[in-house]
Amino acid sequence: MVQDLKKIGEETVAKAVKLGAAEAEIFLVSDQELSIEVTGQEVENMKVAESRGLGVRVIKDGKFGFAYTADLGGDALDFVVKQALDNADITAVDEFNKLPQPGAKYPQLDIYDEAIGNASVEQKIQLAKDIERYAKEYDSRIAITERCAYQDASYHVSIVNSHGISQEYRGAYCGAYAFLVAQEGEDQQTGFGLQYELKFKQLDPKKVGYEAAEKAVRMLGAEEVATQKATVVLDPYVATNFLGVIAPALTAESVQKGKSLFAGKVGQTVGSSSLTIIDDGAMEGAVVSAPMDGEGVPCGKTVLIEGGQVKRFLHNTYTAAKEGVQSTGNGTRGSFKGTPEVGTTNFYIAPGDTSREKLLGDISQGLYITEVMGMHTANPISGDFSVGASGLWIENGEFVRPVKGVAIAGNIKDLLQSIDCIGTDLTFFVGKGSPTIRIANMTISGS
Amino acid sequence: MLTKENLAEVLSLALQNGGDFADIYLERKKTTIIGLEADKIERVKSGIDVGAGLRVISGDNTSYAHTNDISIESLKKTAQIVSKAAAGEKKSADTTLKQKPANWELNYQKRPGEVDIKDKVSLVEAANKAAREADNRVKQVAVGYGDVEQQVTIANSDGSYQEDLRLRTRIIINVVAQDGDVIQTGFESLGGLQGFEIFDDSDVSQLAKSAAQRAVAMLEAKPAPAGKMAVVMASEAGGTMVHEACGHGLEADLVQKKLSVYGGKLGQKVASELITVVDDGTKDGKYGSFRYDDEGTPASKTVLIEKGILKSYMYDRLTGRKENRESTGNGRRESYQDRPIPRMTNTYIESGTSDPQEIIAETKQGLLVKKMGGGQVNTTNGEFVFDVAEGYLIKDGKVGQMVRGATLTGNGPKVLQIVDRVGNDLGFAIGTCGKDGQGVPVSDAQPTMRIPEMVVGGILEED
Repeated sequence: MVQDLKKIGEETVAKAVKLGAAEAEIFLVSDQELSIEVTGQEVENMKVAESRGLGVRVIKDGKFGFAYTADLGGDALDFVVKQALDNADITAVDEFNKLPQPGAKYPQLDIYDEAIGNASVEQKIQLAKDIERYAKEYDSRIAITERCAYQDASYHVSIVNSHGISQEYRGAYCGAYAFLVAQEGEDQQTGFGLQYELKFKQLDPKKVGYEAAEKAVRMLGAEEVATQKATVVLDPYVATNFLGVIAPALTAESVQKGKSLFAGKVGQTVGSSSLTIIDDGAMEGAVVSAPMDGEGVPCGKTVLIEGGQVKRFLHNTYTAAKEGVQSTGNGTRGSFKGTPEVGTTNFYIAPGDTSREKLLGDISQGLYITEVMGMHTANPISGDFSVGASGLWIENGEFVRPVKGVAIAGNIKDLLQSIDCIGTDLTFFVGKGSPTIRIANMTISGS
Repeated sequence: MLTKENLAEVLSLALQNGGDFADIYLERKKTTIIGLEADKIERVKSGIDVGAGLRVISGDNTSYAHTNDISIESLKKTAQIVSKAAAGEKKSADTTLKQKPANWELNYQKRPGEVDIKDKVSLVEAANKAAREADNRVKQVAVGYGDVEQQVTIANSDGSYQEDLRLRTRIIINVVAQDGDVIQTGFESLGGLQGFEIFDDSDVSQLAKSAAQRAVAMLEAKPAPAGKMAVVMASEAGGTMVHEACGHGLEADLVQKKLSVYGGKLGQKVASELITVVDDGTKDGKYGSFRYDDEGTPASKTVLIEKGILKSYMYDRLTGRKENRESTGNGRRESYQDRPIPRMTNTYIESGTSDPQEIIAETKQGLLVKKMGGGQVNTTNGEFVFDVAEGYLIKDGKVGQMVRGATLTGNGPKVLQIVDRVGNDLGFAIGTCGKDGQGVPVSDAQPTMRIPEMVVGGILEED
């Protein structure tokens, strides 16, 4: 079946060229997924899924056309190719429309762990149950399980284009997570823990369960604080939420369209001298790593901001052609239904040199933020953000009480400049990673 | 083509090892997307998604499997997979599949698939032109057009069989304005359970112009103030607040799992008596409407809160079954790849009696919200936020300086209890609501309302 897919790709590319495409590309994916959700030591939901499909990109008269199909039968392939060619009639001519050339060297990555597929469903159910058991063991106030889950996926990708690229690879990942509620009297607070890995044996249900339980329990009794300016610390998860807002601004696509905060700032200082931001699609052991991007260009490491200075932006083949540079291997696709847009892979803030303990220990008064709400409303173009926040109040380097119902606001540009310390504890949450980050002075909106 | 007999056979196979209930959801979806940016049509995408999702419920356990190969052989194989998790006595499906009448009828005029793609492109180009002509500080315009023709067939082991056609059409306009180092954005959207006729009654150029004007006006806006203050929400601001402050908390799955502050409060006063909240999936043409939900239950109108008293939660089949009651027609899913869960449709607070102008005039100091952006809620403790896309300071009953970068945060039940003015108007806005990783189209609406006190996430001015 795997062999079939690449063959379907090669045949469909030939079909597109025969029907008038100057260049053609087929992106095929076949995947299998399993998810198991446990509540009260019973399986509440189990999902098994299989899907496959392909996306066709053609260039005709300098214009791009795209269409996709989940039906790989004979007629459907003819139809999807014609549809892509028809769509190319409508889009604009652009001299930089092109597909990548073959001959590139791909990184060798260990991203397919057979143990994931070999482990039995019973073993995976047990893992999800263990997370819940550990969470309850951690503290008797863990009253409700929203869900404790195990999840895995394996996939096979083929990329074929009319210049001669004909590649395929397979990968797999697995994950465990917990969303829990701690209760004391009328007060209920939530906490979560999660872990995604390339290797089955790396999953640690105890760690996930304890983490979720600790986060929920420590928020019990949370109250508002008065509106004030204070030191703010972002825990690694919250920091990766902010990274998500910065990501689009570091793509060449946003820069070329005048939608980036960092446009025209290469070589300039935009953040604290301790700030380094990297994207690395070929990072050892990282969940989003792959030998190539969605266009068949090798993945690799790109330093975007170094010591607070903008170094370069992420590219796909199109944005790179426009500037006469090489693609950075960041033509990412969400699925076979999407075109390769400039996107991040394993995207992270490099660790600093201060331990988390020292970073917190130096604070006389401040807020350690563990959760933000409404981050998707932050504006990646203007950089403005205003989000709800909760966390722990710090006095003289110690957590003294939980805080909820406050908001923090500002502009990403100012936030990057006000970073005054970066921890050593780089932690990944699927495709984004960050250490603990300390911000010198921020408004906390409260009562 | 799959017959009713085929589906009945698949359902029986799914129940061969036991289970209380099985259903199958077959979907065929045709999508067209046109994207314009930087003054050119950048992308035209079209595609066909086909697939089936099969579910077996056995006690409190749900087993789900999906496939995008909808041949009878593949469906039988999928039925074998879901049947494995079931337990109990072998059960046979009711093979006399019957269709129930809907509570309302669809009235599509122009099927998107039959509209010339050139007309769709012209519409997108007209929006781009209008936004660019609005002001010379407009630096970038992105227009996204999309239409979906979704054919669904839903059958279950209780003998229910429904077919439905959902046409959804939408346009989204994003404008970027720049002045020196300051960049700001403006956004407008329009969409409905309608065909291309949605554009007959709505002026897309006007919509684009208003997105552009907001982006430009935001260049001069000051950062929002920080702290607690009175908030007036205009009806044209949309309904994000009601969606977050109580909508999610009234979904029966969250209530039953004790993850909602509204749990166990039926018949109790949970809001000011000025507040009546309704979820209505039968509103003609609205973005969150459908004739049948994704479990084949006819869409209906459900009064959730009446004059402050909690009347009902929103149910799908599974949560309804747990309480021995019918589904309220709120069982929805993003696609055949997802199991149905209770979701909102078109959710709104009913109009009151106050004059919107007077509400502002009677406010000494506070924030006027003219347009809301997205929001989020933690249903367990009721804390919610929503983004202010367009806001102004109110001083002595008059609308003053425009402000930016504000999120309002509050506690759902507390905020709804203290509402002290509800206007005699109502304004809808569309959105895509996310829950458990599934996005579904919804609309929300509110009249003009005043909340005496909410936390505004702004910036404290330097002394």
